[in-house]
Amino acid sequence: MIDTHPSLYIAPTLGDALSALGERGAEGAAFAGGTWIMRAPIRHQPLGRAYVALGKIEELQRVDVTPAHVEIGACATHATIAAALAPCSDLAVLAEAAGRSANPAVRSAATIGGNLMAADFAAADLVPALLCLEASVEIVARDGVERMTISDFLLKRQYLACDRLLSRIRIERADRRSAHTRLPLRKAGDYPVAIVSLSARIEAGRLMEPRIAVGSVEPVARRWTPLEAALEGAPIDIAAARHAAEAYAAYFQGREGIEAPGWYRISVLPALIGRALQSLSS
Amino acid sequence: MTLRLTINGRESLAPDDPMTPLVDLLRERFHLTGAKPVCREGFCGACLVMIDGEPTLSCLTPGGLAEGRDIRTIEGLSPAGRLNPVQNALEAHDAVQCGMCFPGMVMTLTHALRRNAAPSREELRHALTGNTCRCTGYERILDAALSAAGALQGGEP
Repeated sequence: MIDTHPSLYIAPTLGDALSALGERGAEGAAFAGGTWIMRAPIRHQPLGRAYVALGKIEELQRVDVTPAHVEIGACATHATIAAALAPCSDLAVLAEAAGRSANPAVRSAATIGGNLMAADFAAADLVPALLCLEASVEIVARDGVERMTISDFLLKRQYLACDRLLSRIRIERADRRSAHTRLPLRKAGDYPVAIVSLSARIEAGRLMEPRIAVGSVEPVARRWTPLEAALEGAPIDIAAARHAAEAYAAYFQGREGIEAPGWYRISVLPALIGRALQSLSS
Repeated sequence: MTLRLTINGRESLAPDDPMTPLVDLLRERFHLTGAKPVCREGFCGACLVMIDGEPTLSCLTPGGLAEGRDIRTIEGLSPAGRLNPVQNALEAHDAVQCGMCFPGMVMTLTHALRRNAAPSREELRHALTGNTCRCTGYERILDAALSAAGALQGGEP
């Protein structure tokens, strides 16, 4: 008799996890915090056939903070990341994203790797934050390690070979300031209708090299490059930034959803830009 | 497959597959019906149990990942029918309405008051972000929790 129940193997080491994923082939999948996979029935999707749990692998849970860079294991939870990055003012965008997403119990379970690998989860808070920090990711396999930018990863993540695993996220630190703003339908504990993550250097009251990423508006978060160009070198002027955001709002095509129509997601972006800028300059 | 779970201090065996949500094992296999599978999305908090002392969403936790860990349900917070200080305070403040959310509320508040003996109202609001009360009785729940502050220091339950 064939067992149709999904299996769950708890990998003790990264090597064991890679071997297990390789053995299971296309039927296998990594299981991190479970906050996306366990909701498959709600999305009317079947569970997979064979899961490899990563939660016991210590190296995947570490957050290493140095003055030059930060490395975050793919199984670090949102709560862990928020606590580890709280003292890092240059990484406020990521600390805020991790510390305000969903609710406390979800933040204690959901991982950064899960946020990045759940390609159908448009409202992931960490993704725009990592985009505006120009993070890079490390993919491990039994035969080596591959590194790529977060932007490349978002394009390729659905096509990763089944024996490869997102293992680490790396962020180079710099003399920049950053902010994360989001609009949930409820004040807290909800997924956001739209997200704006912003990082920039500030010189003599002007925005230099601004990086702006927008999440939850489209199926996948991306940079708002026309607005970045418009604000390059501009004085910090919230009203002017909101006007510029209105001018470039057509850059996005809002996704329709039960919680908000596409036009609404776009219409709130200028306000979120204003809030992000206010947070950045305060 | 047989899962070996430690629930409220007792080792229990469940002949179930390891991806079965813990909330279903608790209710269907062990008849511990305090935890409620309401939203099954991690939004409402009605399924919260303590795992190794941390409030955990049992709807999003596969039973296989709860093996070897200390699972504490609402039934385990009031051994021999003695309510814990949070439960007593909720009763004293007449805060319980339909009761659906209360097992999860008690888990969250018990954990919050163990960590912080003198929380502010705002801190308790933040702690309850993931607990939804459809009867909207939040203010009396907060009144009760504040009155229980300090009573949970020094250990179980």
